[in-house]
Amino acid sequence: MLLNFDRLGWWKLVLIGITLLTTAFLLLPILFIAALSFGSSQWLIFPPPAWTLRWYQELLEDPRWLDSAWTSFRIAIIVTVLSVLLGLVTSFGLNRGRFLFREALKALFLTPMILPVVVLAVALYAFFLQIGLNGTLTGFVISHLVLALPFSILSITNALEGFDKSIEDAAVLCGASPFEAKIRVTLPAISHGVFSAAIFSFLTSWDEVVVAIFMASPTLQTLPVKVWSTLRQDLTPVVAAASTLLILLTVLLMVLVAIVRKGLKS
Amino acid sequence: MNRSFLQIRGIRKEYGPVTAVQDVTLDVAQGEFLTFLGPSGSGKSTTLYILAGFENPTRGDILLNGETLLATPSHKRNIGMVFQRYTLFPHLSVGENIAFPLKVRRLPKVEIDAKVSAMLKLVRLEGFEDRKPAQMSGGQQQRVALARALAYDPPVLLMDEPLSALDKKLREEIQHEIRRIHQQTEVTILYVTHDQEEALRLSDRIAVFSKGVIDQIGTGPELYANPATRFVAEFIGDSDFLPCDVVSTVNGRAEIAVCDSMTVSNIPLHGTASSGSKAALMLRPERLLLSKTKSDIGLPVTVSDITFLGNNVHVATKTRKGNVLSVRLPFGHEAISGLNRGDAVWLRFDAGSAHVFGQ
Amino acid sequence: MVSQTETGSGRPYSPAQVRRLTDFDLTLPALGLLILFFVLPVAMLLTRSVTEPVPGLGNYAELLGSSTYLRIFANTFIVSGLVTLVSLLIGFPVAWALAIMPNRAASIVFAILLLSMWTNLLARTYAWMVLLQRTGVINKMLLGMGLIDTPLPLVNNLTGVTIGMTYIMLPFIILPLYGVIRKIDPAILQAAALCGANRWQSLVRVLLPLAMPGMAAGALMVFVMSLGYFVTPALLGGTSNMMLAELIAQFVQSLVNWGMGGAAALVLLVVTLALYAVQLRFFGTNRMGGR
Repeated sequence: MLLNFDRLGWWKLVLIGITLLTTAFLLLPILFIAALSFGSSQWLIFPPPAWTLRWYQELLEDPRWLDSAWTSFRIAIIVTVLSVLLGLVTSFGLNRGRFLFREALKALFLTPMILPVVVLAVALYAFFLQIGLNGTLTGFVISHLVLALPFSILSITNALEGFDKSIEDAAVLCGASPFEAKIRVTLPAISHGVFSAAIFSFLTSWDEVVVAIFMASPTLQTLPVKVWSTLRQDLTPVVAAASTLLILLTVLLMVLVAIVRKGLKS
Repeated sequence: MNRSFLQIRGIRKEYGPVTAVQDVTLDVAQGEFLTFLGPSGSGKSTTLYILAGFENPTRGDILLNGETLLATPSHKRNIGMVFQRYTLFPHLSVGENIAFPLKVRRLPKVEIDAKVSAMLKLVRLEGFEDRKPAQMSGGQQQRVALARALAYDPPVLLMDEPLSALDKKLREEIQHEIRRIHQQTEVTILYVTHDQEEALRLSDRIAVFSKGVIDQIGTGPELYANPATRFVAEFIGDSDFLPCDVVSTVNGRAEIAVCDSMTVSNIPLHGTASSGSKAALMLRPERLLLSKTKSDIGLPVTVSDITFLGNNVHVATKTRKGNVLSVRLPFGHEAISGLNRGDAVWLRFDAGSAHVFGQ
Repeated sequence: MVSQTETGSGRPYSPAQVRRLTDFDLTLPALGLLILFFVLPVAMLLTRSVTEPVPGLGNYAELLGSSTYLRIFANTFIVSGLVTLVSLLIGFPVAWALAIMPNRAASIVFAILLLSMWTNLLARTYAWMVLLQRTGVINKMLLGMGLIDTPLPLVNNLTGVTIGMTYIMLPFIILPLYGVIRKIDPAILQAAALCGANRWQSLVRVLLPLAMPGMAAGALMVFVMSLGYFVTPALLGGTSNMMLAELIAQFVQSLVNWGMGGAAALVLLVVTLALYAVQLRFFGTNRMGGR
């Protein structure tokens, strides 16, 4: 009866209690930061003595914040496009191919996801110092692409595995060329996987800190690097304002995902 | 009939050391309904996939109206196909699915619309054009798949076990639909199935596949009345086999001795056998006559079980040597009344319904 | 590499045909990217650990022989172990509740899990820096309730790191565990009850063993992720209580000692890969990605 909610007796209350506490534990810090960003206290006193938009004003008037956000956005968009395109091509190869070492190759493609990022960051830093890519947009894009590609390949191969290739074959017999069949039939059918690939790739790049810390130069830094270097100095409420905007972005992204998922289902 | 419409010439397909199809040669007439019948792994689907262009043969050629098909990639072969699994494009409506091959061919919209409604009418799904595949039953989906495959008037339609995912009742219903549509469109159909009843119900001719080769091609009655191999005899209709000794052979006919107790002559012989060799005697359960009175020309057996099967009654019997023979009799047949397990009875058969298969 | 694709062999009727693009070819661009910008740089870094400043295993001798560094290894393992343990203890009941909760309630909890997972890592860490500081809300609350007399040192030490990392890792254990419990047929537990098992016996002898593969896989994943974590320990931890990832970064960034950095990276890599090998050996599949 342990898997029947209504027949758990008093255990049900314990489970609900733990779940409520955990949910609060996960949610409260996020709400807390959002509240503090409107608080007037420089020392982040809670509850705030008064409310203000000062930190947002400081944030938006500082060109370094806006520049770093714009840099992050550009990098994330390029990474997303490349990661999805490369992920599509690679996943088709992995899904349809019948070659030796296919499983080993698949595992290799996923390793950047499971290895500690700090190792990749240090290794790429050393390598980019030698070939002059450090502190460049290209350097950022390449390193974030290495980190994002596994998510893309994973999402798209999963979608392809759930897609019956006979449907593509049917399109080919209907007269569509193999490429046309992939574009007009397979791609729409695996669009949920392509969409997750895009979301994961964007988030991977947009939120990436570790590699970026090593890769950044005084003239080119991403938003996480800016947050990081600010935090290393002091806990200014401007970071709370920036964090709140990032949380808002997450909420918007979640709403977008929910809408698209619903749209794809119907 | 023009038998040289579609010619399969010595098609062979090897996957490494495994030979899936061994030198299949076959002529199909225009408008014919030909079924590839055989168990899974017999090469029937592979042959169909070579026709569709999804597989390249190791050897051999396929000619349509005298010209090779193999040089043409799948999407330019203009062949229709209905698959075993549901292959409607999930993101397109029923109407868009049927329109897909026509849009790919860049036909004018008016023509496409007219064809889509004609096709929906053909498969009796008028009013369904805006439905999504997920909102339809399996049987309806396969009918749409049929409409889509016929929308561009292909000279040949391939069907790869299209009804195997459906339950029995629905299967029979759609078999009737397919028959009707075949008669209406006069398209040439190559149909793959492992279900002999389906093959018999639908086909003009049946090619029985076994282990990569065609054992026999013919109409249903031909295969039933005159099976070329033991495999065909087992696959088409029900059959019993008894070991026998060949006494003599003349002109493809044999005289044999069964169970030491009786000899029968003038039985069609298939395969090689010479006097003195062992062979198998094939009998049809529905052609055996059962008699409760001892007779010298009957095979003495004991009744081991009696099963009521609706319009038929199935009597299982055992010979003195322990071989099992089934007899099928219509319900209410006088030979069954009062019959009990353990009774001694005598079986007779006419030479015309029996066959001997050599080694 | 040999590729045996169905389309790869040239067709007998068109011998002049150029070699067609095989499926394997499609993986080449990504493979190139990975070899050039992942395999090669990591290999170069690891090589430097045995070539700089002088060829030999000197870096490893120093790394594994010094009590300072051993202390850092110990910190890393203790914090990771603690984070894993706490995440499991909290994660199991939550995953269990999620699996059987009414759908509407569950979807709210899921939304919060997802919000927490998807919110920028730095924003989340910043929240805990503020919450845990000497004058922060948590200390104030504890003081106000009279539980403590002086503020607790909750940040710039391993306590802060453990709290912050548990916060980050919880969703990674709840989601896979939820998937495993969800797949257990409730009829199995009904059968256990009919066999005479009371709730404790059902839990200990049936539900926990059935959920064990998910728990083990989730725990291993959280442990391995924690071992190599950089951001949260760097911000919530103190300078005197470093973790391994910070040490690697420090070798490279502040000390410009590539030899030691490479050696520390190799140690982290070996431990990580060894633990994944254990997971593959005992649980067959790679349950990464939280999907």
